[in-house]
Amino acid sequence: MNNTDLVRKSLKKRYLKERIFKTVGLLSIVSAILFLLILLTDIFTKAMPAFSQTNISLEVTLDPDVIGVGENPSEQDLMAADFRRVIRNSLADQFPGVTKRKEKRELYSLTSMGAEFQLRDMVIADPALLGQTIQVEFMADDDVDAVIKGAIDRNLPESDRRVKDQKLGWIETLEESGQISEQFNWWFFTSGDSREPEMAGIKGAIKGSLFTLLVTLALSFPVAVAAAIYLEEFAPKNRFIDFIEININNLAAVPSIVFGLLGLAVFINFFSLPRSAPLVGGIVLSLMTLPTIIIASRSAIKAVPPSLREAALGLGASKMQTVFHHVLPAALPGILTGTIIGMAQALGETAPLLMIGMVAFIVDIPQGITDPSTVLPIQVYLWADSPERGFLAKTSAAIMVLLFFLIAMNAIAIYLRKKFEKKW
Amino acid sequence: MNEAVLNDLAEPKNTSQAGPETEASLNIEYTNTVGQPLCDEAKIQTRDVNVFYAENQAIHNVNLDIGAHEVIALIGPSGCGKSTYLRTLNRMNDTIDICRVQGQILLDGEDIYTKKQDPVLLRARVGMVFQKPNPFPKSIYDNVAYGPRIHGLTRNKSELDDLVEESLTKAGLFQEVKDRLDAPGTGLSGGQQQRLCIARTIAVQPEVILMDEPASALDPIATAKIEELINELKQNFTIVIVTHSMQQAARVSQRTAYFHMGRLIEVGETDQIFTNPTHELTEKYITGRFG
Repeated sequence: MNNTDLVRKSLKKRYLKERIFKTVGLLSIVSAILFLLILLTDIFTKAMPAFSQTNISLEVTLDPDVIGVGENPSEQDLMAADFRRVIRNSLADQFPGVTKRKEKRELYSLTSMGAEFQLRDMVIADPALLGQTIQVEFMADDDVDAVIKGAIDRNLPESDRRVKDQKLGWIETLEESGQISEQFNWWFFTSGDSREPEMAGIKGAIKGSLFTLLVTLALSFPVAVAAAIYLEEFAPKNRFIDFIEININNLAAVPSIVFGLLGLAVFINFFSLPRSAPLVGGIVLSLMTLPTIIIASRSAIKAVPPSLREAALGLGASKMQTVFHHVLPAALPGILTGTIIGMAQALGETAPLLMIGMVAFIVDIPQGITDPSTVLPIQVYLWADSPERGFLAKTSAAIMVLLFFLIAMNAIAIYLRKKFEKKW
Repeated sequence: MNEAVLNDLAEPKNTSQAGPETEASLNIEYTNTVGQPLCDEAKIQTRDVNVFYAENQAIHNVNLDIGAHEVIALIGPSGCGKSTYLRTLNRMNDTIDICRVQGQILLDGEDIYTKKQDPVLLRARVGMVFQKPNPFPKSIYDNVAYGPRIHGLTRNKSELDDLVEESLTKAGLFQEVKDRLDAPGTGLSGGQQQRLCIARTIAVQPEVILMDEPASALDPIATAKIEELINELKQNFTIVIVTHSMQQAARVSQRTAYFHMGRLIEVGETDQIFTNPTHELTEKYITGRFG
């Protein structure tokens, strides 16, 4: 046998190995995509109900005497007025014969607790409505919402059903008379958290996340980039610097909850910064993102070809000029990518924020970095922990919002990288 | 001290007459340079220069003068230290942490390695062109304007425009790029990039230009253009060029210095080195028996 025969003999085996490897690779990609699809479909289908809201259309008479205000009431008067009675009267008119106290309570719970505020806001916006009889689309209670969307099965025996027969009858009557409608749930995006599922919104968490990330970015980006430049370009090569480098790498591996404990002990207890505030959350998260950005920035700076530095130095540029005119612009795409990956990590971080009190139930939408607030992943955690059925959809919807922000941030990272790379 | 050095250097003729050394003896003992390493109108004088990379000595006791307005070629086999020597002349070796330079290097009689001497100022006076063309990832205009800008050489935009045009013209590139000065410098061909780097260097108006194998990455036509350019530049600048190509050294330089294993073996008029080398090692290298 000569060499050609030997090679030919081995060919079959070599190609077989290649085919096996390719198949395994393809299979793993397919399974990864499959799992991702299952996850996304699950979240998406569960979240859909949260994006629409069931409304009950009722005719209400805004009688000033019933509401308890006089002629030309001031805004304060209206804020204190009793709009609940108007709605209750309207419901009682529609379903006469409900007399028992318990039954009445059931009847009045067809509309949401938020319905009276809805009506109040309408009247404050247009006081001329007082004394008139108008048709208003009131937010339905989460149980009604669940029945309409099929989350509560009407065919179950009454004993197994959350909504009893009598209430179901009322709902069906309203349905038949065309008083029940569904519309896009703007409320979800414009309000803060609530105990009532139908009134709970994500805006507070979005703003909280935004403020937290702003603080994180403002603190970690300049510090991390400055540290990376110093370590790469200026630091002497000695043991102390080696020690610092090792510790930065170690810091990147510290469990995030430890940073939360540190934040609680140092920033809240020692420096007396406000609890539950994006300020403290941002500081804690920037401690966590610092090593990520430093490591990414250093490798980006290291990847800048030495010929570029030599060119600048050879022309008589100082070290500082070389770094800021040439090295940094060339390393910027890598630095920005690292920064946004770090920020995306910070956006999804939950554990350290639990430690500093951002897990509190906060209804008000934060107006600044010192207002108590919560963030998106913690909102997900809070809603997932709530027993009411309506929060199930809200949880998935909050996850979708969180994923949307993550995808948007990654898209920005890719865009920035492409944009700054073009200059080469 | 200088006198002692000169006395020392007066000897090489005798050494060479005593008979050529073998290569083996070179590795062990210090050999004096043969030929004429010194000259009358020296721009740069280097005396007893030793360069170390950590424990390894890369340059051994080099004594060499670089005359004003001459082109001197440094030749020798790979790893002989000619690039290292070149980089000591504008302190580019400072950027390498483990590199240490001993001896005296005088530019116009002033030691460039004293604490007083600022490497930034030195590099403005002694410019450098590198082996691989390395334009900045900026426009052609900004590449040339960068040096004048950081040193504040021009007072306004029109002066800068003139300087950029003048430098590009001197580098023989202006006609080719005048319509696209804001195009990226990295988009030019290799030969054009190298001429851009030369234009960038001469825009700072240095006194000496160091060239580290400036044509080794270029094709023959681009190389010919660079050589032509060197011949024109020598009227205004002192040029030290490291090259692997002996033909190139013969074409562009007046004097040639031959390095071998970190030692300066022979220096002389280029014609003499290539037609009638004194030292056996030089002869062997020139005739292509090693290198």
